[in-house]
Amino acid sequence: MTNLQEDSSTEQVDRKAAARFVPGQPDMWVFVLFESLLFTGYFSVYLIGRIQNRDLYLQSQADLDLRFGVFNTIVLLLSSWAIARCVQASREGAYRDALRDAFLTIGFGVAFLVSKVLEWVKEIRLGNTFTSNEFFQHFFFLTSIHLLHLLIGFIVLGVAVYQLWSPARRSQQLVETCATYWHTVDFLWALIFALLYVVR
Amino acid sequence: MSGTFNKRLAIVWLILSAMTLVYVWLDVAVDQNGTLKASTVVTVSAIIIALVKVRIIFREFMEVRHAPALLRRLTDAWVVLMAVCLLGSYFIGSALAS
Repeated sequence: MTNLQEDSSTEQVDRKAAARFVPGQPDMWVFVLFESLLFTGYFSVYLIGRIQNRDLYLQSQADLDLRFGVFNTIVLLLSSWAIARCVQASREGAYRDALRDAFLTIGFGVAFLVSKVLEWVKEIRLGNTFTSNEFFQHFFFLTSIHLLHLLIGFIVLGVAVYQLWSPARRSQQLVETCATYWHTVDFLWALIFALLYVVR
Repeated sequence: MSGTFNKRLAIVWLILSAMTLVYVWLDVAVDQNGTLKASTVVTVSAIIIALVKVRIIFREFMEVRHAPALLRRLTDAWVVLMAVCLLGSYFIGSALAS
């Protein structure tokens, strides 16, 4: 009797352990943590620079259009939501839904790209370029390095679509790895948005 | 099963978007007649809201909630690390500037 109970309790522990999993390949997580450290370092440099020259930063910030920032943030959150749904659909074997969500993610990513380019055009027309002043140097550097990550994200999403497309592939781990990368593009933008547009 | 999961994701998205709209309110509340004013309250709130968003994205969208303890602790430690770096730079920078 006691043996039986012991058996069933260890079985439960085993099941609990099996239910816990690292989403995607651990290597991608190492990359995610490394990238966030790199960006955090840059954010620190930006914040310290900002305080040494507060008025210049505030005046330059007045030229930014918050509507672009908010639109971009919401659109990237939508894309993150879509890829999270894609991962769950693919886990449940609903590959048609998963593919649709992957394409939605790409669509929202493209909307972000277009809006970012329009914003740059607007700023350049206002006379704010990379060499205008310290604030705009940070602005163009941060937004373009982030956009570079987004462009790499399109390749990553391409891999997810390739995986979901054929029944011969469909590696759940690879789909999760791709999603982990895409969410990183999203949360880095959440930080960049706060620091460039909102911080005073 | 999938219905409840998707509902949870939708709520997460709503919360994250609502937090983004708080920024708009912060932004409007602090400025006077279109002139931007320096504000420690706005700066600190903006940084903290962003970090809370990052943690929600880690836990919910990136499924760290279901991950082994190591990854859960590591991502939490990272959020704390980012908070220390960002707020630290801001306050040390302020002390140096004044």
